[in-house]
Amino acid sequence: MTLESSRLRKAYDQFDFGPVDMTVEEEVLAVLGPSGSGKTTLLSLIAGITSPDSGSIQLDGRELVGLPPEDRNVGMVFQEGALFPHMTARENIAYAATASDRVDELATLFELEDVLDRKPPTLSGGERQRVALARTLATDPDVLLLDEPLSSLDAPIRKRLRDELHSLFESIEIPILYVTHDQRTATALGDRIAIVRDGDLEQVGSPSAVLTRPTSRFVARFTGNENLFDGTVIDRTTDGATVRLGDIQCQTTASDIHTSTVTVCIHPSRVEIEAPYIADGDRTTNTVTGTVVRWLNEGSEYRIDIEIEAGPITLTANVRPPTFERLALENGSEVQVLIPQDSIHLIPGGE
Amino acid sequence: METGSHANRSGTGTFGFDWLSVALVLGGVLLLYYVVPLVSLFLSVPAGEILDRMNNPTVVDSATTSLLSASISTVIATLFGLPLAYWLARTNGAVTKIVLAVVVLPLVLPPTVGGIVLLTVFGPSSPLGEAAIAAGFPLTRSLAGVVLAQTFVASPFVVVTTKAAFESVDQTLEYASRSLGKSRWTTARNVTLPLAGPGILAGVTLAFARAIGEFGATMMLAYYPRTMPVQIWVAFIELGLDNAYPVAILLVLIAAAALSILNTVASNPWE
Repeated sequence: MTLESSRLRKAYDQFDFGPVDMTVEEEVLAVLGPSGSGKTTLLSLIAGITSPDSGSIQLDGRELVGLPPEDRNVGMVFQEGALFPHMTARENIAYAATASDRVDELATLFELEDVLDRKPPTLSGGERQRVALARTLATDPDVLLLDEPLSSLDAPIRKRLRDELHSLFESIEIPILYVTHDQRTATALGDRIAIVRDGDLEQVGSPSAVLTRPTSRFVARFTGNENLFDGTVIDRTTDGATVRLGDIQCQTTASDIHTSTVTVCIHPSRVEIEAPYIADGDRTTNTVTGTVVRWLNEGSEYRIDIEIEAGPITLTANVRPPTFERLALENGSEVQVLIPQDSIHLIPGGE
Repeated sequence: METGSHANRSGTGTFGFDWLSVALVLGGVLLLYYVVPLVSLFLSVPAGEILDRMNNPTVVDSATTSLLSASISTVIATLFGLPLAYWLARTNGAVTKIVLAVVVLPLVLPPTVGGIVLLTVFGPSSPLGEAAIAAGFPLTRSLAGVVLAQTFVASPFVVVTTKAAFESVDQTLEYASRSLGKSRWTTARNVTLPLAGPGILAGVTLAFARAIGEFGATMMLAYYPRTMPVQIWVAFIELGLDNAYPVAILLVLIAAAALSILNTVASNPWE
């Protein structure tokens, strides 16, 4: 199955969606963007809840635009589940099921046997979403659309259901579009990520490409990349470039850049910290010294702001707790900052 | 200090004047104004005599006419009103507002004026009325005339109340049903109608209650066959107040039944 949209457009009073050209194979495309960016509009257009002003959506060459939702065989899981409140969990799934033995099969798959005879208002948020998933899959859809199905859940349940979704997605071979505003969910579940901004696809690529090689400052910021600096390319070779940030010069393997004014982009997770003068940067690593000015314990990692006088710039690094503790970091600590050449990404143009 | 400030806040302190009590008295007087006349009606005639007069052919005839005509009017109002209510609930715009205003018009129009308006279309001297008479199915002074008058004044209750009921059904549920492969009609039957059910029942009940009490427009369109409200008026004019009691009591009982439906199985739109 291949889902393909071309020149897909929809205009609202305050908001223009598209034109969007997109191809989704049998994979998970995580659609990531801020609220109001058009993520849900995209799903509504594919599901047939909204009609586009122009453009086409094809499923293996079959045109979907113009078909009513019920004739598309596109399954959609809604944000709050959209379970029918007057039907039990079993009735909800049976309503959609193509065959009666599907209900029990899906109930087993989603561990719903014990709650099948309860009505949605008495179910927990996690159970509701499981029923909603089971109900949608009961129709054996050709395409699966999910609209932030985890956003209303508490953190531990969200994480568990996310892991379950991950294995579920691997077992079904149809195009899956998963809408979220959470970068972690997008990178965890998506084979590819599409960043949506103001109704347009800003960047589509693998999670690591989107995270480490954003094509715009917007994508960089939205994926948690706080290290964005104006820089100037001063030398260019076949396998890299030399870029200047204030008084700092660094080497990068980025070679496909053709402007001299650039945005230097370094993902915080790629910045390493060492005690001063211990590590010598080898030829593939840039080394500068700096001072810790702020740190924040974010649970699984520490976020450290380091002031580098030579810039002057403030660089953010994500550091694992063992490193943080080994270096006994505190405000005012002198540190050595190591940035691998291939972690320095250049975006054409400045701010 | 604690008690003093508390007393002040409820208004009994310094001024010696309790506003809460005043409000209760005002409301109480109004409630008595509703209840006392009703009780007085039931006390005006001995129970045995009422039962006797209930068997009077004019009473039985008028009750039959009213129940039959109000039932037909309610069915017609529901049949024509539900789709319109659904459309009103699911669209937004200038046209929706205008259509809703038209629907509400019979509610605010004096019923006698409603009767006159209907006469201009269905009256014996109108083309439609003449044709109907020629076909042996007169639209005035007939059960059809009663139904026309009742439907005109009662159907807005179905539309307005069920519109609110449909609006309370989350549209996402309909989208969900459609995306599960169910047609518009299957979705309406299995999702929208069951969820809006109590509200629809409320609209139907209100329409029936309004239809059975219809007097003004019915007087203009169909003085015969006599409905209960017309019979009350005739009895009052020709034979005096006493003779109007039995039918009035019947209507009060029907109103009470409608109220109990509203407060149990239906969803009371005014709650």
